[in-house]
Amino acid sequence: MKPEHMIRAALLGAVLAAAQPAFAADIAIAIGSEPSTLDPQQRDDGDERAVTDNIYETLLARAPDGTLEPGLAAAMPEQIDPLTWEFKLRDGVSFHNGEPFDADAVVASVARIIDPDYASEQMAYLSTIAGAEKVDDLTVRIMTGDPDPVLPARMYWMKMVPATYSADPAFAESPAGTGPYRIAAWNRGESIALEANPDYWGGAPEIDGVTYRFIAEGGSRVAGLMAGELDLVRNLYPEFLGAVPNSTAVPGLETSVIVLSTENPVVSDPKVREAMNIAIDREALAQALFAGRAQPAKGQLVNPKSFGFNPEIRAYDYDPDRARALVEEAGATGQTVTLVGEAGRWLKDRELIEAVGAYWAEAGLTVDIHIEEFGEYLNQLFDKDHRPDAIFVVNSDELLDADRPLTAAMEYGASYASNADEEMAAQIRAARAETDVEARKALYGEITMKGYEQSYLVPLLNQEDIYAMSDRLSWTPRIDAKLLVKEMSVSE
Amino acid sequence: MAQFLIRRALQGMLVILGVTLVVFVATRMVGDPVQMMLPLSASAEQRAAFSQQLGLDQPLGTQFLAFVGDLLRFDFGDSLWQRRPAIEIVLTKLPRTLELIAAGFGFAVILGVPLGALAAMRPDGLWDRIIVSLSLIGLSVPQFWLGLILVMVFAVGLGLFPTSGSGSLSHLVLPALTLGIPSMARIMMLTRSSVIAELNQQYVRTARARGLPFAHILFGHAMRNALVPVLTLAGWEVISAWAGYTVVVETVFAWPGLGMTAMGAINHSDMFLLQAIVFVVALGIVLVSLLLDLLYKLIDPRIDLA
Repeated sequence: MKPEHMIRAALLGAVLAAAQPAFAADIAIAIGSEPSTLDPQQRDDGDERAVTDNIYETLLARAPDGTLEPGLAAAMPEQIDPLTWEFKLRDGVSFHNGEPFDADAVVASVARIIDPDYASEQMAYLSTIAGAEKVDDLTVRIMTGDPDPVLPARMYWMKMVPATYSADPAFAESPAGTGPYRIAAWNRGESIALEANPDYWGGAPEIDGVTYRFIAEGGSRVAGLMAGELDLVRNLYPEFLGAVPNSTAVPGLETSVIVLSTENPVVSDPKVREAMNIAIDREALAQALFAGRAQPAKGQLVNPKSFGFNPEIRAYDYDPDRARALVEEAGATGQTVTLVGEAGRWLKDRELIEAVGAYWAEAGLTVDIHIEEFGEYLNQLFDKDHRPDAIFVVNSDELLDADRPLTAAMEYGASYASNADEEMAAQIRAARAETDVEARKALYGEITMKGYEQSYLVPLLNQEDIYAMSDRLSWTPRIDAKLLVKEMSVSE
Repeated sequence: MAQFLIRRALQGMLVILGVTLVVFVATRMVGDPVQMMLPLSASAEQRAAFSQQLGLDQPLGTQFLAFVGDLLRFDFGDSLWQRRPAIEIVLTKLPRTLELIAAGFGFAVILGVPLGALAAMRPDGLWDRIIVSLSLIGLSVPQFWLGLILVMVFAVGLGLFPTSGSGSLSHLVLPALTLGIPSMARIMMLTRSSVIAELNQQYVRTARARGLPFAHILFGHAMRNALVPVLTLAGWEVISAWAGYTVVVETVFAWPGLGMTAMGAINHSDMFLLQAIVFVVALGIVLVSLLLDLLYKLIDPRIDLA
């Protein structure tokens, strides 16, 4: 070995020693912002979930492909009447602070999160739940206000907290769950460290400890990964795919969509709306903007992995000639269509909006694009009286069920739907309360098909979640985007 | 002097009050925090219920009166986003931003003033040319780019410093440099031109004719006069960094300061937190300007504060 090589090797060694944590099986993960609390029932925040998903558990869990399976419940729940679901609980589980996980803990967890004074942001996922009651130590019943077929998916969302300690103000800073990791340290502003829970009911996890660092800027996260300070970074910009040591992607929960108003002039014509759909080359958008890490949406807003996805519907064809002909037939050539969007909230949002505007212009429409500040954009998104001709939004289907996306985008009057289709609204409400699985699926089949035929929406892309990893980390990402450290391992 | 202080304190209070009121009105007009906090697919009913739980369904007038009443008791309310007292959040983040400004700005002054004076000794000489070229580079690079380049070279490439984060002295080096380099360049340029102007003054020529040592002329007389405009610039540098210029550096280096917190508060339409931040920042600006006025007097006793 030449002397300069030795020096370089020594320097490299020193750098690596300085950059790597003391224990080989400790990893570091970057999240975008510091959680404001580690109380897992309060906020609706993806960065907080990245941490608390490892500390806390839910009655039902999901396999990596999205299938619901028992978590803290011993088996899938049984619906004993339209408003009541019975859960049998896993025996011998306890919280990190020693409190037992039992029916009392479930009842307390439910009562806590639905308490109006507690003002949980997660009630947007859980508002059908009316309460819970204990049957015996390991059996609990959960009641809903209306029949709710989505209840099992909701119980995949609601984290279980200890009955007594969760009332302590210290709980938000020093959490105690049943999960494979427990809190080791929280250095405000710097990092949160978790350590393996040796008593975990599912067996001690492979990785001993994990440190979360709060890095908002995408470029800084990549730099941290390149310098060997980080092992896992999510939401990687597609541009950086070539720069990082290792990367992986999985179909994600997010679908970009444009909601069309059926009541405004020009877009009220179904021909124009169809033209707006087939004018867009989605494949080209996926390639050019997302480096291929996105798929053309299958003619509907429902995620392909969700309950209620209609496999009969194909992606809208790209047919610019027919689009132009349809616009002309409708007498809309040269007419103005307003497209409202925002910039910076979602990956490549502005680029996507502008590209769609250009495709529509090619079909003969005059497109007036408004990129608004996010607060103003939300005002327009939720304004019931003045619907924009077209408004861009990205839907994230956390519960993997058609109810939320369809309610938001197509139920007249409920949230940001731009149609006035009372019949469809009634169908969506009926499906929400339909407890017969097959009947419910059939209803969603009809709803999504009608939405497709009427072109109420312009579904754009099913986006993939892109993760960058260090060379030593092995992990298969999950459809539900959870970063479960117990599923990761390091090679060294 | 006392009269001056009292007048400035009153003016300062008016400024602070005015700014906080503007922020209240602006935050209420721009965004609805409930829309920001709940998932987009939340229904109109769910948003209404949440709004009620947070007390945001009250008429704006009622909310405004409650807000002013609390403010008079120095109660900024709880942050909507973090659900804890807003002022408490500000006070935990404040030292981190002050630390960053002190390091970056200290570096800018400690290097900028002597180098500027060195360049002024022999205008168009070798040192002058080197220093002027360097400061032009420092003035022209955008700060976020400078930060990323420093990270790529010194953290990723050479491994000398961590890429981002905080908690040790080595974490502070790159962000402080990024913050300080443009300031240093400006201070260097101004010191240079200011010292050159002083050295051409009649009194310097007289002093030289009397045979006083050059060092005495420079440090005893010329620098003292030349520093008045430099002090003005230095004050401006501190105030502008303090009033939000650190946000770029804090973002690039994941530095947990007030700038990042302000960004978060804006993104969440968290008017209570924003209110507290603006109050503390405005208070800081008023204090720094007061301090500057007093320093002028110290450097140049001819300046009359009344």
